[in-house]
Amino acid sequence: MKKVLVVEDETSIRNLYKEELIDESYEVITAGDGFEGYELFKKEHPDLITIDLKMPNMNGIELLDKIRREDKNTPIIIYSAYSEFTQNFSTWAADEYLVKSSDLTEFKEKVKELLLGKR
Amino acid sequence: MTEEQIIKKYEDLLRRYNILNRISEIVASTNELDKILRIILKGVTFGDGFGFNRAFLFLADQKIDHLKGKLAIGTETAEEAWKIWGEIQKKNYSLEEFLSQEKLIIEENLSLNERLKKITIPITSGKIIEQCLTNGNPVNIDLTLENPSPDINQFSDASLIENEILDLIKHPKFCIIPLISRTKKVGILIVDNKYNGREITKEDIIFLMMLGQFAASSIRNTIIYNELKENLNNLAKVNYQIKILKEYNENIIESVPLSMFAVDNNFNITACNKNFSDIMHISKYDLIGKNIKNFVIKINDFNLVDEISNVMADKKVEGFYKVKLEMNNIINESIYDLFLVMLKDSKNNINGVIGIIEDVTITVKLEKSLQEARRFAELGKFSATVAHEIRNPLVSIGGYANRIKRRYEERQEFDVNDAEVITSEIKRLEEILNDILDYASDKKVDFKVINLSEVLKYCLELAKIFAEQNNINISLLTGREFLDNQNLIINGSYDNLKQAFINVLNNALEASSSKQNVYFDTSIIEEFKQKWVEIKINNKSMIQNEKDLYKIFLPFYTTKIHGTGLGLTLTKKIIEEHSGNIDVESNSESGTTFIIKLPLIRIEDNI
Repeated sequence: MKKVLVVEDETSIRNLYKEELIDESYEVITAGDGFEGYELFKKEHPDLITIDLKMPNMNGIELLDKIRREDKNTPIIIYSAYSEFTQNFSTWAADEYLVKSSDLTEFKEKVKELLLGKR
Repeated sequence: MTEEQIIKKYEDLLRRYNILNRISEIVASTNELDKILRIILKGVTFGDGFGFNRAFLFLADQKIDHLKGKLAIGTETAEEAWKIWGEIQKKNYSLEEFLSQEKLIIEENLSLNERLKKITIPITSGKIIEQCLTNGNPVNIDLTLENPSPDINQFSDASLIENEILDLIKHPKFCIIPLISRTKKVGILIVDNKYNGREITKEDIIFLMMLGQFAASSIRNTIIYNELKENLNNLAKVNYQIKILKEYNENIIESVPLSMFAVDNNFNITACNKNFSDIMHISKYDLIGKNIKNFVIKINDFNLVDEISNVMADKKVEGFYKVKLEMNNIINESIYDLFLVMLKDSKNNINGVIGIIEDVTITVKLEKSLQEARRFAELGKFSATVAHEIRNPLVSIGGYANRIKRRYEERQEFDVNDAEVITSEIKRLEEILNDILDYASDKKVDFKVINLSEVLKYCLELAKIFAEQNNINISLLTGREFLDNQNLIINGSYDNLKQAFINVLNNALEASSSKQNVYFDTSIIEEFKQKWVEIKINNKSMIQNEKDLYKIFLPFYTTKIHGTGLGLTLTKKIIEEHSGNIDVESNSESGTTFIIKLPLIRIEDNI
């Protein structure tokens, strides 16, 4: 079973993503901020990571940077509520960039694609 | 001596007295030095007077250590002399006519005068002139004498005579008369009879001495008179310049767009400009010379006279910013900056105090519109942040709604927890909306004179309930009595201030863990000549990212799980609406402290 790490500070969204991904038959682990996310990444070696951009303590960009210094391969999806932030210099290292939406169809598709290794 | 000789001698004496008398009368009629010198020398050389062939006059300089050649009457050659005297005799001038003839300068030989005026003789050489001026005796020089008789002032030692004199006179017989007024050395007069060779007699010398004495005092008086006149002129000029300068300064003081006044050490108004008289509504005439204590002038709640005393006592500058002025019970509409500065003279003595008052009403208005503009800009940024903050709950509401729909469609399953998330997220949206409306509302806050002590006590009561539930202790550093006994009277809105303080207290309590202390401190401070209530609320946990501490007041900047992220933003807005100030400090030692300052009107004892 593929293991997905969800890093998101908003409890309700974190739970939503978790349950939706469990329904898609993934093993899901969650973190509430960047620090926790990095710890879980080191400990659990997930197959895919989804990261919220805006978080307290360590934000998504910092976490992305920290992970990419050690690991160039694990697929990472960055998402944010800011629609004006499309992919830019600070997020180029992510594999996908999504704007938060109540429709999780695209999100789930991207997770599936990335885990199958289709780029 | 025959009878005839005696008569002739007395006639001669009388004639000379007569001439002396007439010379003195003419001299007395003028105070021009050149004229006086000329009259004296003319008198000495006038044929019908003393009748000397030539006369030379030297005057002492100001320091009286040199003599300078001033005027000579006479000719260089005998031929010239006979010619001139012949002409004058033909015209048959009376003495008065001769003496007062301005244009008859033919007798003032140019080359002789030229030579004379180049001569400067030191008085301190120890030679004959110094002796003559020191002992006041005339010297009758006759270089042809082998045995001169000192008794009748005869002298024949050329080595003791200044070379300059010998070069000038070029004649072995001449007489030097000292010109001394009281004890002051004025100069010397030299006469000779180079052309007719007449001997200089004892009587000649007596009369020359009499003339000399008279000449010396006339010359000296004239010099003093002229110096005095010049000094007076200069004084008048200086006075005029001072007047111009004073007018110039006054023009500056009148033209500057400031109100100014000056008081002396006795509080008497010594000067003020029109602007000051305008804001006082009292004419300049009624202000200058009056004691400023006669006028009631208040700067906010301070008394101007007290403040002037402070400046005199403390020897410092006092500044009052954005104050209201009250003149004789009339509160001026404008807003002013006022400075009191010591008035020092050139020796650094304090001579009083200057007050400078600037109308800053327009500046304050501009500042206010700038603040408004800033608020609009903030609102712009705020909207972007709001959009973002609303998206999060919307995403989860929509997400869960989709999830309910999908699960029901696919498996006819329904999880009530999914619906509960939606409900709570909607509740959160409502909270955010309320706070946004509060923040963005521009309705005028109703300001009243209120007792801040009441507000603080209410908030502390409320906070205590939460604190007890969470086992946190609130300790009042200044003690409960401070708020019980003192009514802190301020201008403000009771409800808004309650909201502001509850927000800060909640923030401190939520950041504290069980058994920790939250400290609450109230004190009165003075800043910018204004009394303030200062409230400090401290909790022991430190805020991360110290350098970004100010961001804590930005909308939606929160590290907490609960709350909308607008609480402190709102608090800051409320405090600033009250012309107050909120600040935050945070470090690992003392934790986090919020410092709130509100302008105090007065304290009332409540005992």
